[in-house]
Amino acid sequence: MEFLIHHMLRTSVGRLPDKEALVHGDRRFTYAEVWRRVSNLADGLRRCGLERSDRIGIYLDASIEQSLSIFAVARAGGVFVPINGVLFPDQVSHIARDCRMRGLITSAPKLASIAPILESIPSLEYLVVVGSDIPLGVKLPIHPFDVLCESSAPAGDQEASIEKDLAAILYTSGSTGKPKGVMLSHAQVIAGSSIVSDYLGITQTERILAVLPFSFDAGLNQIMTAFQQGATIVLRPFVFAREIVTALHDERITGLAGVPTLWSLLAQPSSSLQKGTYPHLRYITNTGGAMPQDVLATLRRALPTTKVFLMYGLTEAFRSTYLPPEELDRRPTSMGRAIPNTEILIVDETGRRCGPGEIGELVHRGPTVSMGYWGQPELTSRVLRPNPFLPPEIGEVEKVCYSGDLVKMDEDGFLYFVGRRDNMIKSSGFRISPTEVEEVLFQSGRVQGAAVIGVPDAMLGQAVAAFVVPREGTSLDPEALRAFCGEKMPPYMVPKSIEVLDRLPKTSSGKIDYPALRRRQGS
Amino acid sequence: MPIDSAHVRIRSFILNQFPLARKRAIGDGDPLLGSGILDSLGILEVVAFVEREFEITVADEDLLPESFESIASIARFVEDKRDRGAQAESR
Repeated sequence: MEFLIHHMLRTSVGRLPDKEALVHGDRRFTYAEVWRRVSNLADGLRRCGLERSDRIGIYLDASIEQSLSIFAVARAGGVFVPINGVLFPDQVSHIARDCRMRGLITSAPKLASIAPILESIPSLEYLVVVGSDIPLGVKLPIHPFDVLCESSAPAGDQEASIEKDLAAILYTSGSTGKPKGVMLSHAQVIAGSSIVSDYLGITQTERILAVLPFSFDAGLNQIMTAFQQGATIVLRPFVFAREIVTALHDERITGLAGVPTLWSLLAQPSSSLQKGTYPHLRYITNTGGAMPQDVLATLRRALPTTKVFLMYGLTEAFRSTYLPPEELDRRPTSMGRAIPNTEILIVDETGRRCGPGEIGELVHRGPTVSMGYWGQPELTSRVLRPNPFLPPEIGEVEKVCYSGDLVKMDEDGFLYFVGRRDNMIKSSGFRISPTEVEEVLFQSGRVQGAAVIGVPDAMLGQAVAAFVVPREGTSLDPEALRAFCGEKMPPYMVPKSIEVLDRLPKTSSGKIDYPALRRRQGS
Repeated sequence: MPIDSAHVRIRSFILNQFPLARKRAIGDGDPLLGSGILDSLGILEVVAFVEREFEITVADEDLLPESFESIASIARFVEDKRDRGAQAESR
């Protein structure tokens, strides 16, 4: 029976032990080889001190080690917290403190970069490190990753977890404040994997190219579906779009998931994508924002035999909608309709269900609705609420997810994205909270007012734009301020433009008038 | 124009545009890729800069990690392109 995420892997190991499971560069592991390392690592983590429900951070770039760690932490009874490799020490520290992280799996170079902030994480007790060149002066016990993977010393296999237990925390931003940890149970992750496998038709013949980070729900879902179905997953972090094109050929890739920015890169006039043919590539999927229509048209021309799935999901409910490829000609701008075993409701401000053409909030009900935000019951209760359409006799047992996304439906029930209900920014697939960027602008000590909005951008979906008011009696060099931001935040959060204003527009209640700023930018 | 002028302009562009490069006091031979300084979007900015600044055209075939791994290798790449462009013109 498969009720914990590593059970999906275990079943595939039993069925296809010698099948290629995981590929990164020259390293190729079969299912049996993956399982042996996952089992050893799980035992090793327990010997390090991992107890049931402990949060274990995985701060690694896309790699074999990152994949093994996810399943090993689950197998050891822990909760894995993938941290995007592009995050800076301050953001890593926030995540670690917020989830009271007890162990951290990282690499030697990454450890060197975060060594100064380790003491800001009181809960952290041990480190597991990939690679040598361990920086000096780290006071915590350090366990070499390879030693744990290679030494078999069972730490007792009493598995106590059940599917309701927390499996993962994925950190993501909202409209305000610092990133929040979305809690996913084993059952929710497995449901997401089964549902996506079903509508994408994923089987063991698939060779999936993973370019999205596993800290992102759609990225994580790729490795889950691959291991659940006994498919092969090829990890390919990239800088140049042609590296993806090369991998599509060399690895005979059948499936690729991307965000709009990735597709824009691949669809550039100079891109080598348009010079080849891809008979193996069965499907591509887009999520993390709407794909620009010209990019979609270019991709369809370059990939005439590939099915294009436009999808929509938010981390709080994992995956929500997809557009069947056969609808693409008729409704190229639609985000589709509910994924299997899921119902999407559109609800207006009074709580009434919207008819065709009426704009309302997308509300998701189904087995992938998350457990909410770690340590934030009040915020959770705003996003996950009792299903308002059940008879009162059933009570408030079922929570549905209020997405904050405004949508409308056509006569046939297909959905169209209209906008956000709040100020959250989405850029190159990342969710960005304006207040988090504003805080850094204030940290510079050079501004007395700051407001950040998203403006339309062909490549990024939205670009971060900042408006600042200099401290009284001072002048301000926007470039210097941008440079300060670049030292404090990963590139995707740094404002693309900074405009200096005498004062920020305010609403009658004295709050910053964000809509006025958006109108000013013509967006 | 002195040989190293492209070098100097590229260095100043990288240090200005990518604050992390300045913070880490990146030298001409230090890696830009895989170190979090240049990602796929950063590369596009560098390409747009060298195309504009040095009046060269960067084709997809040119987009190789070895041409962009450091300030020195970008400068070499640009000089190479300009030399080839000049040769083509003189023929």
